[in-house]
Amino acid sequence: MGLIDGNFTSESPLHPRAREVLLDAIDQGWSDPKKLTDQSARARILRDEAIESLAEQLSIRPNEVEVIGEPLLGNYFAIQGLLGPDDTLVYSAVDRKEVFAIAQTRAKKIELPVTISGQISAEHFQNSRSSLYSVFALQVANGETGVVQHLEELLDLVGPARIACDFSSSGPRISLPSRWDSANFDAKSWQGPEGVGVIAIAEGTSWASPFPHIGTARTPQSASLPLTLAAAVALEQWQGEEIQESTRMRAFSTRLRKEITTTIADCDIAGDLDSSLPHITSLSFLYVEGEELLRKLDSAGFAVDSGSACTAENLQPSHVLTAMGVLTHGNIRITLHHGVSESEVTGLISSIEKAVAELRT
Amino acid sequence: MIHEVNCLGLRCPQPIIDISKALATVPAGDSLILLSDDPATWPDLRAWSRMTGNEVHQESQTKFRVTRRIQNVQGAD
Repeated sequence: MGLIDGNFTSESPLHPRAREVLLDAIDQGWSDPKKLTDQSARARILRDEAIESLAEQLSIRPNEVEVIGEPLLGNYFAIQGLLGPDDTLVYSAVDRKEVFAIAQTRAKKIELPVTISGQISAEHFQNSRSSLYSVFALQVANGETGVVQHLEELLDLVGPARIACDFSSSGPRISLPSRWDSANFDAKSWQGPEGVGVIAIAEGTSWASPFPHIGTARTPQSASLPLTLAAAVALEQWQGEEIQESTRMRAFSTRLRKEITTTIADCDIAGDLDSSLPHITSLSFLYVEGEELLRKLDSAGFAVDSGSACTAENLQPSHVLTAMGVLTHGNIRITLHHGVSESEVTGLISSIEKAVAELRT
Repeated sequence: MIHEVNCLGLRCPQPIIDISKALATVPAGDSLILLSDDPATWPDLRAWSRMTGNEVHQESQTKFRVTRRIQNVQGAD
């Protein structure tokens, strides 16, 4: 299975090459790499090769890499591992809910606001004396809007704070900043399998596993080896395609934003494309219900996501759009994947125009 | 007495649609009160204000004062 026509949701099928490798890896990598048998030695070699490949593609050292089987715990490992009991956690109003959950457990915390373009405002933190004793949870790019932070400017502002970078939405589309202490990635961001997270812990950083543990391993070491191998292969393949694909996607996103705002009145776009990932666009249409719009597009053969309250389990509007001051109702999020065709984008634009017009009558 | 638009119990975007329609019936500079308990109303009223030029003010958790714009704003209806 490869590309799915009309899929503009944040999920995508496993990269076809990684799928091939996965079947083979299930046969070859079933043994416990920690044991002493021949099969285990083979599994150990496969694991080491996968970690070296992941490290090389992500521009980190192999000894800085940890693979975990639950990517949503990546933020917890990356952030909580740096935090001492009296440290301050600094994060932004558009961070992932997992980061908000960590903040709820902290006595000292600072939530930074964002501008309407989604950029973190760290100015009032700049002169804070707590910077030396802080961990800054730095979301490199937002998964709902695609907005990318100005990393180096933020690092200047937060001074000596330790930096936990969240690459779970951007993947390696954005390079590691000049200074970082920990980082977390999700293999889904490069068309890898579900259930593989990569954590990077910078050499020399003071980091301690936040979970009760016995022994020296930094993480549980329970990630699936076949899935880890598939993640490494997916990353190699995806990186090879990305230079050409990102240029195509930026052109599609430019067209999509321009045509929709020209033909549909009262459309609110979250963030500027110049400061965003090339493949994510968040659009909100005034006087339109997000769920109805999503269903109409689905009927037309186009699957998209939504941040509107009516589509959320808890019926709350997107905290990201709310923090930015962008319209939360009538929202759809369009994610372009490698291999998307011009005719699909054309069809999606036409379907959005038709659906919004029908819903406003 | 300022006229009230009661949207209690209604989900977004209905409160924004209703206040927008009601506001079109009053002279520029006049205000209406919107009653709404939907959690998306206040963030969406602020975004709507930015997009249309009408003024909004939160008076309580469920009560909002909306004033029709006096000058035309480009792109707003």
